[in-house]
Amino acid sequence: MLLQLVKKDFLIVKKYVLLMIAVCVVFPLFLIWRSPEYAGILGFVLITIFSIFMLLQYVSLKETQYPKASTLLCALPFSRKDIVLSKYIFCILIYFACSLIFGLETLLFPQLRNVGYELPALSFLVISVVLGIYLPVQYKLGYEKTKMFFVVLIMASPFLFAKSLEIETNFIAEVLSERNPIALLAACLIISMVILIISSVISTGIYKKADLS
Amino acid sequence: MENILEVKGLNKTYQDFSLKDISFSLPEGCITGFIGINGAGKTTTLRSILGLTPIESGDIRVFGMDMATNEKAIKERIGIVLDEGGFYDELSLSEMKGIIASAYQSWNENEYRAYLDRFSLNPKQKISTLSKGMRMKYALALALSHEAELLIMDEPTSGLDPLIRSQLLDILKEFMERGGRGVFFSTHITSDLDKIADMLVMIDGGRIVFQEEKDTLLDGYRIVKGDLMKLDSNSEKMFMAIDKTTYGFTAITKNVDEARKILPDSIFERPAIEDIMLCNIKGGK
Repeated sequence: MLLQLVKKDFLIVKKYVLLMIAVCVVFPLFLIWRSPEYAGILGFVLITIFSIFMLLQYVSLKETQYPKASTLLCALPFSRKDIVLSKYIFCILIYFACSLIFGLETLLFPQLRNVGYELPALSFLVISVVLGIYLPVQYKLGYEKTKMFFVVLIMASPFLFAKSLEIETNFIAEVLSERNPIALLAACLIISMVILIISSVISTGIYKKADLS
Repeated sequence: MENILEVKGLNKTYQDFSLKDISFSLPEGCITGFIGINGAGKTTTLRSILGLTPIESGDIRVFGMDMATNEKAIKERIGIVLDEGGFYDELSLSEMKGIIASAYQSWNENEYRAYLDRFSLNPKQKISTLSKGMRMKYALALALSHEAELLIMDEPTSGLDPLIRSQLLDILKEFMERGGRGVFFSTHITSDLDKIADMLVMIDGGRIVFQEEKDTLLDGYRIVKGDLMKLDSNSEKMFMAIDKTTYGFTAITKNVDEARKILPDSIFERPAIEDIMLCNIKGGK
């Protein structure tokens, strides 16, 4: 039941899913060509965040375009909790898909260098924090009022990109090398899961009270 | 007959509209028409029953179970047809079915395919390419393919041509023939209910105006046509929706016997549901 709801999210944005897969494949290769020194880590982090939010925005756009479809789903024996959880799982699956694509690319293109598992774990934490805040806010305010957040994210991405370069060289590399990688991975995953669970509980609470037109 | 649906003291307030103390019940084995003009509160009531909108107070029981605590079990046994379907237009019929079927434990794929064949629907077709009538047939196929015992439909005949409306009514009759079932059917096109409804519930301005068996209701009212000269302030009190012209008057009365005594020369005609609905709307008097 829950998986069908996740599948529904992919189905309603299937055109964009194919586009994002193509972007996920091409973007790191583009970085190898233009900025080979940053291709690995930034190629992964930026494309993962961008893919998740882009597809999430498209799903929200479709839900807004067809509001009665959400009403119908809630009129069926689907629980609102499952409908909310499917959105979180949808985002997590995109994260894993991006990791898989990037992982395969690192095997084919050594220039991307192996990012190990610490960076994907840290990225997952960052994504969990952003999603953990964004999804409850979107359930509360709706797509129209929160789409500005995404516009700001896109507008700020060049700045974030430049900042990330500094962070990567000056901070992350040191942090990653000095910490016990297993502990770091475990901490990232546990904190991420806690954030996502709390966020999904809040989102479910909001959506259960939603007045579906 | 047991009640398949019972609504008691339902209250819900919006800024500019409210449902006030809505109470009615649907007996098993009946097609119940839920009538009222646009904005009367039909859709809000249906959505409150289905838990789609939070209510302030009220008790909703379906199949004898409390909707608040048995929502999933109840919805397993309900078929839903929303106005305009409520589908993602870019999906194919088959893709949308996959989503909806996964919600039901008792989904009957053979029955679904039989409905698609009967309605000449191609499962690979995109929902966006369906006409309004085909969309309604598809919605019915989905609503009737999981052994539903109660069919709740919000304005299903709105915007459909007479042939498709007639086919829809035939399907509802078939659905009821299996026994132990009920249909709750909101509409402002009352001619469909003239043909098929057993029971009528009318709502206006967020309040229930009446709940009555259709035949009893139609027997209780008469359209009266008579000479304007015979109408005085006393006799006017018996009538609703009085329409006066230079040739005479037309009105509706619930006091049929008394009206016959006072105006024996007038013509008394059996009204349609629409006449009764209109005369009960505020301002219809």
